[in-house]
Amino acid sequence: MNAIAYCSWNAMESETSAIARGLRRRDPELLDRLIEQYQHRLLRYLVYLTNNRELAEDLFQETWIRVLERGHLYDGRHEFGTWLYAVARNLTIDYLRKKSPVSLDGLMEDEQHAPLEPADTRLAAWKVVEQHEQAERINAALVGIPAEYREAVVLRFQDELALEEIATVTGAPLGTVKSRLYRGLNLLMGRLEGKTA
Amino acid sequence: MSVNDHERARQLIALSGADASGGRTGDARAEGERGWLRVHLQECEECRDYAEAAGGAIRALRTHPMAAGSGLVRATQMRVRARALELRRQRERMWLVGLSCAFVGISAAVTTPLLWQGFAWAGEWMGVSSWVWQAGFTFVWIVPALVASALLVDRGTHLNAANGIGTSLRSNLGGGSAEQD
Repeated sequence: MNAIAYCSWNAMESETSAIARGLRRRDPELLDRLIEQYQHRLLRYLVYLTNNRELAEDLFQETWIRVLERGHLYDGRHEFGTWLYAVARNLTIDYLRKKSPVSLDGLMEDEQHAPLEPADTRLAAWKVVEQHEQAERINAALVGIPAEYREAVVLRFQDELALEEIATVTGAPLGTVKSRLYRGLNLLMGRLEGKTA
Repeated sequence: MSVNDHERARQLIALSGADASGGRTGDARAEGERGWLRVHLQECEECRDYAEAAGGAIRALRTHPMAAGSGLVRATQMRVRARALELRRQRERMWLVGLSCAFVGISAAVTTPLLWQGFAWAGEWMGVSSWVWQAGFTFVWIVPALVASALLVDRGTHLNAANGIGTSLRSNLGGGSAEQD
Protein backbone atom coordinates (compact mmCIF):
# COMPACT_ATOMS: atom_id res chain seq x y z
CA MET A 1 0.00 0.00 0.00
CA ASN A 2 2.80 2.38 1.00
CA ALA A 3 4.78 1.38 -2.07
CA ILE A 4 1.83 2.29 -4.32
CA ALA A 5 1.41 5.63 -2.59
CA TYR A 6 5.15 6.27 -2.88
CA CYS A 7 5.12 5.39 -6.59
CA SER A 8 2.15 7.64 -7.35
CA TRP A 9 3.71 10.47 -5.32
CA ASN A 10 6.95 9.98 -7.25
CA ALA A 11 5.12 10.04 -10.57
CA MET A 12 3.34 13.26 -9.60
CA GLU A 13 6.63 14.79 -8.45
CA SER A 14 8.34 13.93 -11.72
CA GLU A 15 5.41 15.30 -13.71
CA THR A 16 5.38 18.61 -11.84
CA SER A 17 9.16 18.82 -12.20
CA ALA A 18 8.83 18.25 -15.93
CA ILE A 19 6.21 21.00 -16.12
CA ALA A 20 8.46 23.36 -14.13
CA ARG A 21 11.38 22.66 -16.46
CA GLY A 22 9.18 23.18 -19.52
CA LEU A 23 7.81 26.45 -18.16
CA ARG A 24 11.32 27.73 -17.51
CA ARG A 25 12.14 26.98 -21.17
CA ARG A 26 8.79 28.49 -22.25
CA ASP A 27 8.17 25.31 -24.20
CA PRO A 28 5.23 26.05 -26.57
CA GLU A 29 4.30 22.37 -26.95
CA LEU A 30 3.98 21.99 -23.19
CA LEU A 31 1.89 25.15 -22.93
CA ASP A 32 -0.43 23.94 -25.70
CA ARG A 33 -0.90 20.68 -23.85
CA LEU A 34 -1.53 22.40 -20.52
CA ILE A 35 -4.06 24.80 -22.06
CA GLU A 36 -5.99 21.84 -23.45
CA GLN A 37 -5.70 19.86 -20.25
CA TYR A 38 -6.91 22.64 -17.94
CA GLN A 39 -9.27 24.48 -20.32
CA HIS A 40 -12.60 23.46 -18.77
CA ARG A 41 -11.52 23.56 -15.15
CA LEU A 42 -9.86 26.96 -15.44
CA LEU A 43 -12.70 28.53 -17.38
CA ARG A 44 -15.30 27.16 -14.95
CA TYR A 45 -13.35 28.54 -12.02
CA LEU A 46 -13.04 31.96 -13.65
CA VAL A 47 -16.70 32.04 -14.63
CA TYR A 48 -17.76 31.39 -11.06
CA LEU A 49 -15.15 33.76 -9.69
CA THR A 50 -16.14 36.68 -11.89
CA ASN A 51 -19.76 35.76 -12.50
CA ASN A 52 -19.29 36.90 -16.08
CA ARG A 53 -18.54 34.54 -18.96
CA GLU A 54 -17.08 37.17 -21.27
CA LEU A 55 -14.71 38.53 -18.65
CA ALA A 56 -13.80 34.99 -17.65
CA GLU A 57 -12.76 34.22 -21.25
CA ASP A 58 -10.56 37.32 -21.35
CA LEU A 59 -8.99 36.38 -18.04
CA PHE A 60 -8.55 32.81 -19.26
CA GLN A 61 -6.28 34.08 -22.04
CA GLU A 62 -4.48 36.50 -19.75
CA THR A 63 -3.87 33.73 -17.24
CA TRP A 64 -2.01 31.67 -19.81
CA ILE A 65 0.00 34.69 -20.96
CA ARG A 66 0.99 35.22 -17.34
CA VAL A 67 1.84 31.54 -16.97
CA LEU A 68 4.16 31.94 -19.96
CA GLU A 69 5.77 35.10 -18.59
CA ARG A 70 6.10 33.95 -15.00
CA GLY A 71 6.43 30.23 -15.52
CA HIS A 72 9.92 30.32 -14.06
CA LEU A 73 8.33 31.05 -10.67
CA TYR A 74 6.62 27.65 -10.60
CA ASP A 75 8.93 25.40 -8.61
CA GLY A 76 7.14 22.10 -9.18
CA ARG A 77 6.62 21.43 -5.47
CA HIS A 78 2.84 21.85 -5.70
CA GLU A 79 0.38 20.52 -8.23
CA PHE A 80 0.46 22.66 -11.36
CA GLY A 81 -3.33 23.13 -11.15
CA THR A 82 -3.04 24.72 -7.71
CA TRP A 83 -0.47 27.20 -8.97
CA LEU A 84 -2.56 27.88 -12.07
CA TYR A 85 -5.66 28.67 -10.00
CA ALA A 86 -3.59 31.00 -7.80
CA VAL A 87 -2.30 32.82 -10.89
CA ALA A 88 -5.85 33.13 -12.28
CA ARG A 89 -7.18 34.33 -8.94
CA ASN A 90 -4.48 36.98 -8.50
CA LEU A 91 -4.98 38.17 -12.05
CA THR A 92 -8.74 38.44 -11.52
CA ILE A 93 -8.37 40.37 -8.28
CA ASP A 94 -5.74 42.59 -9.88
CA TYR A 95 -8.05 43.29 -12.82
CA LEU A 96 -11.09 43.99 -10.65
CA ARG A 97 -9.19 46.22 -8.25
CA LYS A 98 -7.99 48.35 -11.12
CA LYS A 99 -11.31 48.42 -12.88
CA SER A 100 -13.30 49.38 -9.83
CA PRO A 101 -12.26 49.29 -6.20
CA VAL A 102 -14.53 46.46 -5.10
CA SER A 103 -13.83 43.24 -3.29
CA LEU A 104 -14.75 39.83 -4.66
CA ASP A 105 -18.04 40.08 -2.77
CA GLY A 106 -19.01 43.03 -4.91
CA LEU A 107 -19.10 40.77 -7.93
CA MET A 108 -22.30 39.29 -6.64
CA GLU A 109 -24.14 42.45 -7.39
CA ASP A 110 -23.26 42.18 -11.06
CA GLU A 111 -26.46 41.08 -12.73
CA GLN A 112 -24.94 40.56 -16.15
CA HIS A 113 -23.90 36.96 -16.19
CA ALA A 114 -23.97 35.21 -19.51
CA PRO A 115 -25.65 31.82 -19.70
CA LEU A 116 -23.25 28.97 -19.24
CA GLU A 117 -22.37 26.86 -22.22
CA PRO A 118 -22.92 23.14 -21.68
CA ALA A 119 -20.35 20.73 -23.05
CA ASP A 120 -21.17 19.12 -26.38
CA THR A 121 -21.80 15.52 -25.48
CA ARG A 122 -23.96 14.85 -28.56
CA LEU A 123 -27.03 13.95 -26.57
CA ALA A 124 -30.55 13.86 -27.89
CA ALA A 125 -32.25 17.25 -28.12
CA TRP A 126 -34.47 16.74 -25.09
CA LYS A 127 -31.50 15.64 -23.07
CA VAL A 128 -29.63 18.77 -24.07
CA VAL A 129 -32.60 20.93 -23.04
CA GLU A 130 -32.87 19.11 -19.74
CA GLN A 131 -29.13 19.46 -19.17
CA HIS A 132 -29.30 23.13 -20.01
CA GLU A 133 -32.12 23.68 -17.54
CA GLN A 134 -30.20 21.82 -14.88
CA ALA A 135 -27.11 23.91 -15.64
CA GLU A 136 -29.10 27.11 -15.35
CA ARG A 137 -30.61 25.97 -12.07
CA ILE A 138 -27.21 25.18 -10.57
CA ASN A 139 -25.74 28.35 -11.99
CA ALA A 140 -28.53 30.44 -10.49
CA ALA A 141 -27.99 28.75 -7.13
CA LEU A 142 -24.23 29.24 -7.28
CA VAL A 143 -24.26 32.89 -8.27
CA GLY A 144 -26.65 33.57 -5.43
CA ILE A 145 -24.10 32.74 -2.76
CA PRO A 146 -21.25 35.05 -1.72
CA ALA A 147 -18.18 34.89 -3.96
CA GLU A 148 -15.76 33.57 -1.35
CA TYR A 149 -18.13 30.70 -0.47
CA ARG A 150 -18.80 30.02 -4.15
CA GLU A 151 -15.09 29.85 -4.84
CA ALA A 152 -14.51 27.34 -2.05
CA VAL A 153 -17.45 25.18 -3.17
CA VAL A 154 -16.38 25.17 -6.82
CA LEU A 155 -12.75 24.40 -6.04
CA ARG A 156 -13.69 21.59 -3.66
CA PHE A 157 -16.61 19.90 -5.32
CA GLN A 158 -16.15 20.64 -9.00
CA ASP A 159 -12.39 20.82 -9.32
CA GLU A 160 -11.88 18.37 -6.45
CA LEU A 161 -9.00 20.22 -4.84
CA ALA A 162 -7.89 19.20 -1.37
CA LEU A 163 -8.59 21.62 1.47
CA GLU A 164 -4.89 22.47 1.77
CA GLU A 165 -4.75 23.21 -1.96
CA ILE A 166 -7.75 25.53 -1.68
CA ALA A 167 -5.97 27.31 1.19
CA THR A 168 -2.90 27.70 -1.04
CA VAL A 169 -4.94 29.05 -3.95
CA THR A 170 -6.98 31.49 -1.90
CA GLY A 171 -4.27 32.40 0.57
CA ALA A 172 -6.76 31.85 3.40
CA PRO A 173 -6.08 29.80 6.56
CA LEU A 174 -7.30 26.21 6.52
CA GLY A 175 -9.93 26.95 9.19
CA THR A 176 -11.37 29.74 7.06
CA VAL A 177 -11.51 27.45 4.04
CA LYS A 178 -13.41 24.83 6.06
CA SER A 179 -15.82 27.41 7.35
CA ARG A 180 -16.44 28.84 3.87
CA LEU A 181 -16.99 25.37 2.49
CA TYR A 182 -19.49 24.43 5.17
CA ARG A 183 -21.43 27.66 4.89
CA GLY A 184 -21.21 27.67 1.12
CA LEU A 185 -22.59 24.15 0.83
CA ASN A 186 -25.42 24.96 3.24
CA LEU A 187 -26.33 28.05 1.26
CA LEU A 188 -26.14 26.15 -2.01
CA MET A 189 -28.34 23.36 -0.68
CA GLY A 190 -30.86 25.89 0.54
CA ARG A 191 -30.96 27.60 -2.82
CA LEU A 192 -31.18 24.35 -4.79
CA GLU A 193 -34.02 23.12 -2.61
CA GLY A 194 -35.73 26.48 -2.94
CA LYS A 195 -35.54 26.28 -6.73
CA THR A 196 -36.82 22.74 -6.99
CA ALA A 197 -39.65 23.26 -4.53
CA MET B 1 -26.71 13.02 21.39
CA SER B 2 -25.78 16.70 21.73
CA VAL B 3 -26.27 19.61 19.34
CA ASN B 4 -22.50 19.61 18.90
CA ASP B 5 -22.63 16.08 17.54
CA HIS B 6 -25.04 17.11 14.78
CA GLU B 7 -22.94 20.16 13.98
CA ARG B 8 -19.79 18.08 13.87
CA ALA B 9 -21.45 15.50 11.62
CA ARG B 10 -22.64 18.17 9.20
CA GLN B 11 -19.25 19.78 9.07
CA LEU B 12 -17.61 16.44 8.34
CA ILE B 13 -20.11 15.78 5.56
CA ALA B 14 -19.52 19.20 4.04
CA LEU B 15 -15.73 18.96 4.24
CA SER B 16 -15.50 15.48 2.84
CA GLY B 17 -17.85 16.09 -0.02
CA ALA B 18 -18.96 12.51 0.36
CA ASP B 19 -22.37 10.90 0.34
CA ALA B 20 -23.75 9.62 3.57
CA SER B 21 -22.40 6.20 2.70
CA GLY B 22 -18.89 7.66 2.68
CA GLY B 23 -17.90 6.24 -0.68
CA ARG B 24 -15.34 8.94 -1.43
CA THR B 25 -12.96 9.81 1.34
CA GLY B 26 -12.01 13.40 1.91
CA ASP B 27 -8.53 14.38 2.96
CA ALA B 28 -9.86 16.41 5.90
CA ARG B 29 -11.39 13.44 7.55
CA ALA B 30 -9.35 10.96 9.47
CA GLU B 31 -10.30 7.32 9.56
CA GLY B 32 -11.63 7.66 13.11
CA GLU B 33 -13.85 10.56 12.16
CA ARG B 34 -15.28 8.58 9.25
CA GLY B 35 -16.14 5.78 11.60
CA TRP B 36 -17.74 8.16 14.05
CA LEU B 37 -19.76 9.76 11.25
CA ARG B 38 -20.95 6.37 9.98
CA VAL B 39 -22.21 5.44 13.43
CA HIS B 40 -23.81 8.84 13.92
CA LEU B 41 -25.61 8.65 10.58
CA GLN B 42 -27.02 5.24 11.44
CA GLU B 43 -28.56 6.71 14.58
CA CYS B 44 -29.60 10.17 13.39
CA GLU B 45 -32.24 10.49 10.72
CA GLU B 46 -31.94 14.27 10.54
CA CYS B 47 -28.24 14.14 9.74
CA ARG B 48 -28.86 11.30 7.30
CA ASP B 49 -31.29 13.55 5.44
CA TYR B 50 -28.72 16.32 5.51
CA ALA B 51 -26.08 13.98 4.11
CA GLU B 52 -28.42 12.90 1.32
CA ALA B 53 -29.24 16.51 0.46
CA ALA B 54 -25.54 17.44 0.52
CA GLY B 55 -24.72 14.46 -1.65
CA GLY B 56 -27.44 15.52 -4.10
CA ALA B 57 -26.14 19.08 -4.28
CA ILE B 58 -22.55 17.92 -4.78
CA ARG B 59 -23.59 15.41 -7.47
CA ALA B 60 -25.53 18.16 -9.24
CA LEU B 61 -22.44 20.36 -9.15
CA ARG B 62 -20.23 17.61 -10.52
CA THR B 63 -22.61 16.81 -13.35
CA HIS B 64 -22.83 20.46 -14.28
CA PRO B 65 -20.76 20.68 -17.45
CA MET B 66 -19.10 23.83 -18.64
CA ALA B 67 -16.83 23.72 -21.62
CA ALA B 68 -14.37 26.17 -23.03
CA GLY B 69 -15.11 26.65 -26.71
CA SER B 70 -12.52 25.28 -29.12
CA GLY B 71 -12.16 28.79 -30.56
CA LEU B 72 -11.14 30.13 -27.18
CA VAL B 73 -8.56 27.39 -26.72
CA ARG B 74 -7.10 27.92 -30.21
CA ALA B 75 -7.02 31.71 -29.78
CA THR B 76 -5.28 31.30 -26.43
CA GLN B 77 -2.72 28.90 -27.84
CA MET B 78 -1.99 31.29 -30.70
CA ARG B 79 -1.63 34.28 -28.39
CA VAL B 80 0.64 32.34 -26.06
CA ARG B 81 2.83 31.27 -28.98
CA ALA B 82 2.97 34.82 -30.36
CA ARG B 83 3.91 36.17 -26.94
CA ALA B 84 6.55 33.46 -26.50
CA LEU B 85 8.07 34.44 -29.84
CA GLU B 86 8.01 38.10 -28.86
CA LEU B 87 9.69 37.35 -25.54
CA ARG B 88 12.38 35.31 -27.29
CA ARG B 89 13.07 38.11 -29.75
CA GLN B 90 13.13 40.62 -26.92
CA ARG B 91 15.66 38.49 -25.08
CA GLU B 92 17.81 38.21 -28.19
CA ARG B 93 17.67 41.97 -28.65
CA MET B 94 18.59 42.54 -25.01
CA TRP B 95 21.51 40.16 -25.43
CA LEU B 96 22.72 42.16 -28.45
CA VAL B 97 22.29 45.42 -26.56
CA GLY B 98 24.27 43.99 -23.64
CA LEU B 99 27.01 42.82 -25.96
CA SER B 100 27.16 46.24 -27.64
CA CYS B 101 27.33 47.97 -24.26
CA ALA B 102 30.19 45.72 -23.18
CA PHE B 103 32.06 46.39 -26.44
CA VAL B 104 31.54 50.16 -26.16
CA GLY B 105 32.61 50.15 -22.51
CA ILE B 106 35.83 48.24 -23.21
CA SER B 107 36.71 50.31 -26.26
CA ALA B 108 36.01 53.54 -24.33
CA ALA B 109 38.26 52.38 -21.48
CA VAL B 110 41.06 51.70 -23.97
CA THR B 111 40.68 54.73 -26.26
CA THR B 112 39.87 57.51 -23.75
CA PRO B 113 43.40 57.79 -22.27
CA LEU B 114 44.90 57.64 -25.77
CA LEU B 115 42.51 60.32 -27.03
CA TRP B 116 43.26 62.48 -24.00
CA GLN B 117 47.00 62.22 -24.69
CA GLY B 118 46.39 62.95 -28.39
CA PHE B 119 44.45 66.12 -27.58
CA ALA B 120 47.08 67.22 -25.08
CA TRP B 121 49.81 66.74 -27.68
CA ALA B 122 47.77 68.57 -30.38
CA GLY B 123 47.00 71.45 -27.97
CA GLU B 124 50.67 71.81 -27.12
CA TRP B 125 51.67 71.60 -30.78
CA MET B 126 49.10 74.28 -31.74
CA GLY B 127 50.03 76.39 -28.72
CA VAL B 128 46.48 76.74 -27.35
CA SER B 129 45.64 76.93 -23.68
CA SER B 130 44.76 73.72 -21.90
CA TRP B 131 41.02 74.53 -21.41
CA VAL B 132 40.65 74.81 -25.23
CA TRP B 133 41.94 71.33 -26.03
CA GLN B 134 40.13 69.94 -22.97
CA ALA B 135 36.87 71.46 -24.25
CA GLY B 136 37.61 69.93 -27.66
CA PHE B 137 38.22 66.54 -26.07
CA THR B 138 34.95 66.75 -24.10
CA PHE B 139 33.07 67.70 -27.26
CA VAL B 140 34.48 64.81 -29.30
CA TRP B 141 34.01 62.38 -26.44
CA ILE B 142 30.42 63.27 -25.58
CA VAL B 143 28.81 64.33 -28.90
CA PRO B 144 28.39 60.83 -30.45
CA ALA B 145 26.55 59.64 -27.34
CA LEU B 146 24.31 62.74 -27.38
CA VAL B 147 23.48 62.23 -31.09
CA ALA B 148 22.68 58.55 -30.54
CA SER B 149 20.44 59.37 -27.56
CA ALA B 150 18.57 62.04 -29.53
CA LEU B 151 17.99 59.60 -32.40
CA LEU B 152 16.72 56.91 -30.03
CA VAL B 153 14.35 59.34 -28.35
CA ASP B 154 13.10 60.49 -31.73
CA ARG B 155 12.70 57.06 -33.37
CA GLY B 156 11.96 54.97 -30.30
CA THR B 157 14.05 52.27 -28.69
CA HIS B 158 14.29 48.52 -29.11
CA LEU B 159 11.85 48.15 -26.20
CA ASN B 160 9.00 49.79 -28.07
CA ALA B 161 7.95 46.55 -29.79
CA ALA B 162 7.49 44.83 -26.43
CA ASN B 163 5.60 47.81 -25.06
CA GLY B 164 3.30 47.64 -28.06
CA ILE B 165 2.46 44.03 -27.34
CA GLY B 166 1.71 44.89 -23.73
CA THR B 167 -0.63 47.65 -24.82
CA SER B 168 -2.51 45.38 -27.22
CA LEU B 169 -2.97 42.77 -24.50
CA ARG B 170 -4.31 45.37 -22.14
CA SER B 171 -6.69 46.73 -24.74
CA ASN B 172 -8.06 43.21 -25.30
CA LEU B 173 -9.21 43.20 -21.70
CA GLY B 174 -11.56 46.08 -22.39
CA GLY B 175 -10.30 49.12 -20.60
CA GLY B 176 -6.92 47.57 -19.96
CA SER B 177 -6.78 47.53 -16.19
CA ALA B 178 -5.12 44.19 -15.68
CA GLU B 179 -1.45 44.47 -15.03
CA GLN B 180 0.63 42.42 -17.41
CA ASP B 181 4.15 42.62 -16.07
